[in-house]
Amino acid sequence: MRDSGDVEALLLEAAEVYDDDPALRAELEGYARRLREPLRVAVAGMVKAGKSTLLNAIIGEEIAPTDTGECTRIVTWYRHAATPRITAYPVEGEPRLLPLKRVEGRLVFDLGGQQADDVSRLVVEWPAVNLRSMTLIDTPGIASLSAEVSARSTRFLLPEDAPSEADAVIYLMRHLHGSDLKFLEAFRDTSAASSGTVNALAVLSRADEVGSGRIDSLISASRIADRYRSDPSLKSLVLDVLPMAGLLAQSARTLRQAEYEAFVALAALGKTERERMLLSADRFVTGSTAIGIPPEDAARLLDRFGMFGLRLGAALVRGGTSDPTALAHELARRSGLDHLMALVTRQFSARATTLRVRTALTGLEALVRSNPREAAAGLLAGVERVKANAHEINELRLLSALRSGGVPLPARAAEEAERLVGGSGTGAADRLALPPGVDAEDIRSASLGTLHRWRVLAENPLTDRGALEACHVVLRSCEELVVLAGSVPQGGEPARGRHRADTGQRADTEPAHG
Amino acid sequence: MDDLITLVNSGLGLVATGDRADLRQRLDQTLARLANPDIRVIVVGEFKQGKSKLINALVNAPVCPVDDDIATSVPTVVSFGDPASAAVLVPRDGGGPEQDPAAFERRPVALEDIAGFVSERGNPSNRQGLASAEVRLPRRVLADGLSIIDSPGVGGLESAHALTTLTALPTADAMLLVSDASQEYTEPELRFLKQAQRIVPNVGCVLSKTDLYPQWRAVADLDRAHLAQAGVGTVPLLPVSSDLRLVASQTKDSELNRESGFPQLVAYLRNDVVGKAQALRRNSVAQDLLSTTEHLRLSVTSELQALQHPEGVPVLLAQLEEAKAKADQQRKRSSRWQTLLNDGASDLISDMEHDLRDRLRSIQREAEAAIDDGDPGPVWDQFAEWLEQRVASAVSDTFVWTNERSRWLAEQVAELFALDEVPLPLLEVSSTDGVLAPVEEVPYLDPGRVSAAGKVLIGMRGSYGGVLMFGLLTGIIGMSLINPLSVGAGLLLGRKAYREDKDARLKRRQAEAKSLVRRQMDDVVFQVGKQLKDRLRLVQREIRDHFGDIAEEHHRSLADSVAAAQRSASTFRQERDERVTELKAQLARIDQLHAKAKRLLPEAVPVPQASADVGAGA
Repeated sequence: MRDSGDVEALLLEAAEVYDDDPALRAELEGYARRLREPLRVAVAGMVKAGKSTLLNAIIGEEIAPTDTGECTRIVTWYRHAATPRITAYPVEGEPRLLPLKRVEGRLVFDLGGQQADDVSRLVVEWPAVNLRSMTLIDTPGIASLSAEVSARSTRFLLPEDAPSEADAVIYLMRHLHGSDLKFLEAFRDTSAASSGTVNALAVLSRADEVGSGRIDSLISASRIADRYRSDPSLKSLVLDVLPMAGLLAQSARTLRQAEYEAFVALAALGKTERERMLLSADRFVTGSTAIGIPPEDAARLLDRFGMFGLRLGAALVRGGTSDPTALAHELARRSGLDHLMALVTRQFSARATTLRVRTALTGLEALVRSNPREAAAGLLAGVERVKANAHEINELRLLSALRSGGVPLPARAAEEAERLVGGSGTGAADRLALPPGVDAEDIRSASLGTLHRWRVLAENPLTDRGALEACHVVLRSCEELVVLAGSVPQGGEPARGRHRADTGQRADTEPAHG
Repeated sequence: MDDLITLVNSGLGLVATGDRADLRQRLDQTLARLANPDIRVIVVGEFKQGKSKLINALVNAPVCPVDDDIATSVPTVVSFGDPASAAVLVPRDGGGPEQDPAAFERRPVALEDIAGFVSERGNPSNRQGLASAEVRLPRRVLADGLSIIDSPGVGGLESAHALTTLTALPTADAMLLVSDASQEYTEPELRFLKQAQRIVPNVGCVLSKTDLYPQWRAVADLDRAHLAQAGVGTVPLLPVSSDLRLVASQTKDSELNRESGFPQLVAYLRNDVVGKAQALRRNSVAQDLLSTTEHLRLSVTSELQALQHPEGVPVLLAQLEEAKAKADQQRKRSSRWQTLLNDGASDLISDMEHDLRDRLRSIQREAEAAIDDGDPGPVWDQFAEWLEQRVASAVSDTFVWTNERSRWLAEQVAELFALDEVPLPLLEVSSTDGVLAPVEEVPYLDPGRVSAAGKVLIGMRGSYGGVLMFGLLTGIIGMSLINPLSVGAGLLLGRKAYREDKDARLKRRQAEAKSLVRRQMDDVVFQVGKQLKDRLRLVQREIRDHFGDIAEEHHRSLADSVAAAQRSASTFRQERDERVTELKAQLARIDQLHAKAKRLLPEAVPVPQASADVGAGA
């Protein structure tokens, strides 16, 4: 979806209908404002899954507070602004500014005597590049020992009577846990019940701890991620699963010279000596004086990199990584952060407008249904119209249906359909399974071929009716690919083809109604 | 342990000469219990906490498969055996109830192949349907009869899997809850711990992977605080690192071993788990021997008394007859303890059924309200899962509660039995007038009576399979309910037509869903109720047999004494002297064994403490 004009017009119309009710008008204005804001991505997960750590890694600065115990207790928004500022929004009363206090770089939220329960959210404005394209939301952990903290997260992400405040979710987990599945299901239901779409990414967040922090831990972790990706219960809930070493990602982006020197000193040790020193966290701290690192520095190094980070860093330096910048890059690359960011861009940013429009439509529909007015009937029709015309929403819906296995297509066709509607990315090459960087001509011929194949399938009288609807969505995606690739000679053809297909479908399905 | 066997054998030697088959049977049972010295420790926890590696590090052998991904799929029992061996237990087709050992076939496998049977990789989700695997190893730490059970990890301890673990717990002597040092306890873990603590006599917490997390000390402190807050502050928390221990044993580095925290774990297992279980066992052996010698002594002394003081025989006989009549009462169905047991058991069964029904009914109400609120079709899968979890937790609550109540019943019966019991008279040999002096109470028998409740449950540990409830739960809940696909197809066919008769269809679906829920609840009450009833009946039978045997023994002893005293009247003088010598020698042997058995008991155990021990031990 390239613009949200239709929805904005619809929201304006609704604002007129509900002009007499200030609360509803404010809600509508909120939806309209949301359409213009960056995408809201919530970072969610069970207690201690590494939510704040990942947030820091994405922002590129260690500002979100993290701790051994359970730490985040209030929903905290991180959005882009030129100057840093923290605002607390109490449950009752006016928002107020909090003092900007940092201890060792991390923000300290000084609520000024207020209880965490009385604050509905904190908003941190921060001049970070990555925040320009999305607003990040840090949430308290699910399955926390304090039921109140868990409930706060649940209330925020899964409100009962309104669309979720987040457009998309990065869900962090250490292993697939019963509570994880429950949450993801609930998120799919509330955020997208009416549109039936998937908008969550799952991240195996503490991948470095998988094999007791062995140097091949991340390889193991990606094997586990592969298994989860094909797990039917998870497949219908998330777009993708990928492993990530959150701690490493966070610290690699802020690697300091002194830390690099520590890695060099570690690498200079003999093999047995080094291995004995890196046997356990305690051993490293006590043994560090031998290589000229004071114990408190060693403890900090350990806090920042973990056992896996230390082992990997030393191995990289020994392997020839010879300056701090190169080491930082290599550590960041191995942490899986780049991969995650690429995926976020491909799955969320490319669909940002679609996701936002969908949220607005869901909200508008719920609002109209719960506050019926005579003049509002037209609004519902409008919502229906926008939904029917928004091909991207149809794509998302089909994607979700395909993933839950509810479309009666042959396995291979279902697999292809999933890719064509953007299951592995919305770029043309991603959809057509072509290597990145192929030229427009290849894309055009590939998409024409695909279009042809799907049209044959759609016109086959033996094709199941349920599958037919899926075919039409796929066909439309193919046509857009052809158009995008600059198909000059047959420019009008695909559109006409689609039209015919549509009417054909209607003729097919009509008798079934009676 | 060996000294106990020798003692029991010498006791058997004493009994062998007489015709007291009942006493012989009791000592035979004691011997059988000694021959199977298993002290079972179940290792539980969520998955990926390092349970299998903990066991490997403990016995220093790769017996439980370890993998970066989920590894264990079948419970594995690691116990002592020389030479090392391994086997898998396969349920026989059409076998009887699961607690019947004949229902399993024991198939020996090579030790190095065991991973292929119990790991998620070799046997995903236990597709081969194995009941469990056994590994025997010649290790010193296991030599005392310790057997360690590796359980498959569960995702979310509140699930039905947690119930399996819970139902297996009464068969264990101790439980180790493993949680890694990456984070403090989660809510499901603590809840599970609290519940388990009510069932299993000994609970320990292990904080694993301390090598990987520099903040493990902080996590340990947090966990201790959580334990104290949950009211289970007495549970020890043991931080360990399996990796360090494995490296330590490879390099024979005692300093590393100390750092791994395993010495404390081994000490805990040895002192708190094995030590307590053995002390309990010693006590019960001592009790058995003491009461056996008491019984033997009675008939020997009464005969001796009658021979030496013939003039006192009529008084002796009268009093013995009176005691015998009383003991006879104890044997009858109408005796107070029997009545209490029968009434108590039937009360307990009806209370249990009521409790289960009550819990399930509130779930059913909640479910029906939810169904009325919306369309159950599209969310049926989640709904069924919710239902399953609520039912599982209700059943585990009932299970824990029933367990506690049945223990309480056993204690009540024991108390009443002790109250009504005819004390075995002590004969004052030296007194000239040959008066019987019935002792008010036989103090050293008392702890034995009270610990009977404990003993009953120890007996049950061996006999009760424990796993049955789980199989049953998944069996009845995994049924196919409203097919969500058919609802989806309706949507695809035509939205308009669908909306028109939506109301009628919705009503029908709601009705259908409600009747499914109701049927489901009926099934649960039926199946689980049956299981729990069987369990309670088993408890009842065990208690009845236990005390019935004791009453029977008393009666036999007194009857024997009467016969012996009567016999003495018709004995000639010459034979009489020989008989006196013989009896004196017999008495000396009995007294010797009695003294030895008495030494087995801990020094000066006051009665209240003994009963407190039983409370914890049962």
